[in-house]
Amino acid sequence: MDVSQYLEIFLDETKEHLQSLNTQILELEQNPENMETINEVFRAAHSLKGMAGTMGYKRMQTLTHDMENVFSEVRNGHIKVNASMIDCLFQCLDALEDYLATIQSTGDEGTNDNEMLIKDLNAMLGAENADESETKPQQAKAAVSDASKEKWHTIPMGEPEKHVVREALKQGKNVIGLTVYVQESCILKAARAFLVFKALEELGEVIVSNPSTQDIEDEKFGFDFSIILVSDSDAEKAVAAASNVSEIQEVCAGLILLDTEEVAGGAAKEETAPEEASANEVPEAPQVEKKPVKKETKATEKKNKPVVNRTVRVDIEKLDVLMNLVSELIIAKNSLVSATNVEGATNAGVNEHIEYLESVTTNLHESVMKVRMVPIESVVNKFPRMIRDLQKKLGKKMELHMSGEETELDRTVVDEIGDPLMHLLRNSADHGLESAELRKERGKNEVGYIFLNAYQEGNNVVIEVGDDGNGIDVDAVRKKAIERGTITEEQAEYMTEKEIIDLLFLPSFSTAKQVSDVSGRGVGLDVVRSKIQSLSGEVEVRSKLGVGSTWIIRLPLTLAIIQALMVGVGGEKYAISLAAIDTIEDISPEDIKLVQSKEVITLRGNVIPLVRLNEVLGIESLKDSSENLTAVIVKKGDKQAGLVIDELSGQAEIVIKSLGKYINKSKVISGATILGDGEVALILDTNALL
Amino acid sequence: MDTTKKMDDANQYIVISMGDEQFGIDIKYIDNIVKMQHITRVPNVASYIRGIINLRGEIIPVMSLRRKMGMDDDVETKASRIIILRLEQLGMLGIIVDEVKEVLTLDDEDVEKKAVTENKEDTDSYIFGVGKYGESLVSLLDVNSVVAFE
Repeated sequence: MDVSQYLEIFLDETKEHLQSLNTQILELEQNPENMETINEVFRAAHSLKGMAGTMGYKRMQTLTHDMENVFSEVRNGHIKVNASMIDCLFQCLDALEDYLATIQSTGDEGTNDNEMLIKDLNAMLGAENADESETKPQQAKAAVSDASKEKWHTIPMGEPEKHVVREALKQGKNVIGLTVYVQESCILKAARAFLVFKALEELGEVIVSNPSTQDIEDEKFGFDFSIILVSDSDAEKAVAAASNVSEIQEVCAGLILLDTEEVAGGAAKEETAPEEASANEVPEAPQVEKKPVKKETKATEKKNKPVVNRTVRVDIEKLDVLMNLVSELIIAKNSLVSATNVEGATNAGVNEHIEYLESVTTNLHESVMKVRMVPIESVVNKFPRMIRDLQKKLGKKMELHMSGEETELDRTVVDEIGDPLMHLLRNSADHGLESAELRKERGKNEVGYIFLNAYQEGNNVVIEVGDDGNGIDVDAVRKKAIERGTITEEQAEYMTEKEIIDLLFLPSFSTAKQVSDVSGRGVGLDVVRSKIQSLSGEVEVRSKLGVGSTWIIRLPLTLAIIQALMVGVGGEKYAISLAAIDTIEDISPEDIKLVQSKEVITLRGNVIPLVRLNEVLGIESLKDSSENLTAVIVKKGDKQAGLVIDELSGQAEIVIKSLGKYINKSKVISGATILGDGEVALILDTNALL
Repeated sequence: MDTTKKMDDANQYIVISMGDEQFGIDIKYIDNIVKMQHITRVPNVASYIRGIINLRGEIIPVMSLRRKMGMDDDVETKASRIIILRLEQLGMLGIIVDEVKEVLTLDDEDVEKKAVTENKEDTDSYIFGVGKYGESLVSLLDVNSVVAFE
């Protein structure tokens, strides 16, 4: 057992608590009198403090402790929530996030004490400081020495343990019984218990505990546990060592003398009166720096930089489904084995089992995929706070409306999507929204409207980010592009509005007249786009001058396994993602028209360009030019194209494999897959063909 | 067993033949040698990349050593093999050779280091030295420059 095994849980939970604090404090800013929110904030701060203390992060603990004091005063009605307090609290949250980031990368909290913040917090408490002890009832607990508290008397001991005790006594060692009470507010009880064990093991040997060490490790105990320790030191030292661990409420101890009689009877003579530990240091104490918990910090420091693995917390139900499916898979496999073993096995019988197997594997795949899915909530939750800060910084009034936070995406995608979204939101706040005066002039609500909507659409997740601001000034972009030599004037004349707007995604292209530290350095949109493209997604923008703009991000639900249409081109096999396909059309050569010397067809009133795949792929088509063509109509946003192929060879579920680092120049190929017969087929990147 | 002992002054090479010439490839780069199999062509890539193969569920790019070194194009025979190299930076990569002969152990003193030439068209630029191979000589391939992009 080791504290570092809790590090992941600690990081995850701390992040959650910080997020909840952020949300709640935002809420508090709106409704300063809401008791429920204040209580919620208090609880979150308290848990944070407890966890930081458990892990031995002193600085983090001190800061949260002072924050908790402020909340506690607010809760008791001694001080009122005001704007400067909210600002200060947000700064504290930022500081905590810094600690967390440092811990994540180095395993240590760093050396920043954030004294200024602590000073501010204490200043807020002001005169109320005197009453502080009143809010800490646990601390003032009277020292009760009660025999019933010394549960170590009742530790069941087997013959081997008794033997050890006898031997120890013979050697003149002390056998000490201890009962440790953990504070009821303690979060990671097991970690506490572990620290107590560790502390005691430095003094001697723990021979038995109740409940068993295994149960304690698994947190299967109430708020106390008892230990029998064989040691050279006396009971006082053991008590001191155990009490040194924070969040330990009380430690009772006594010597066991075991005169060959049963220990469990409690008949053991006690030379030392049970040690009271009420004076020990609990984190609630106003001066936390009283007595540093040396052992804990040492334990964490000793760990050579824990590398925190990325984890997904999985709903147990999802795992249950997965388990069931695996069992079914095994059954299916067994029946398949027996079906082939039976003399004169009929094909029909085998086919039946294969179909069963297929349905199981499909479900299995879906569930595994779901296990990897997490709601985007974890990413978008930090945005309200960001908008609040931007509002102050930019001096514009704005509101963020979000919907669809529960939309789920693959964990890897969720991790990456935060920055691009943040950038788009900042863009909206900074460039999109006009100043309040201008808004008034235009007859708009003074408060700017920024939105983030997420929803699932077929095999994609769509995230829309936008505002009701100024929209993109196409003429300004065109002028700028010509000025910069990105395009020539002739080119500009022929370009559609959409094409002009697309220029914004080029590297170092910013139309902002002023560079602010919010956005406008021109290193944004191209990064946004390349990030999203690296996640196999796409981004487009719809904008109307004076009305606002919307950025639409489309991301695939999963990256690893897709449904695909297998097609043949010039004798080679290619896969096209089913998600990109609209329809498949049979086209007679007469229907092909030429527009600007490019082949197009008209389909249900739409003019669709044709792409001869054999030309793109550099191979001879097997079809005669007089024959009817088969075209797969693919879409990307509202663009369409018809990919001309030789033959269709059915639908398949394919596993996407990378082509490796060596082949990366091939634009039209997004990956490869291995077919049932071991052959390799390439996956066409339809986005690149449009 | 005794490779560690030999490491200091001797290296093992796989001797391959390409046309009339013999080449040696340091065994430390070699993961595997497989028989010629169907190679799936990848469009729009450098001409010396023949395509990709499936090696036990992994996709591995395959390159033509002949094309890369400016020799005549590959002629597939029964003796043709794909040598799978494992490279630190680029991962696995297959190279097509005419024939794999044997493993050769060369002491450092048997290897004559060659001055570096810049001429990319020449086979020579991929050779770092020449070793004695029975009566004849074997050119030792500088794997990293063979697989490097152009």
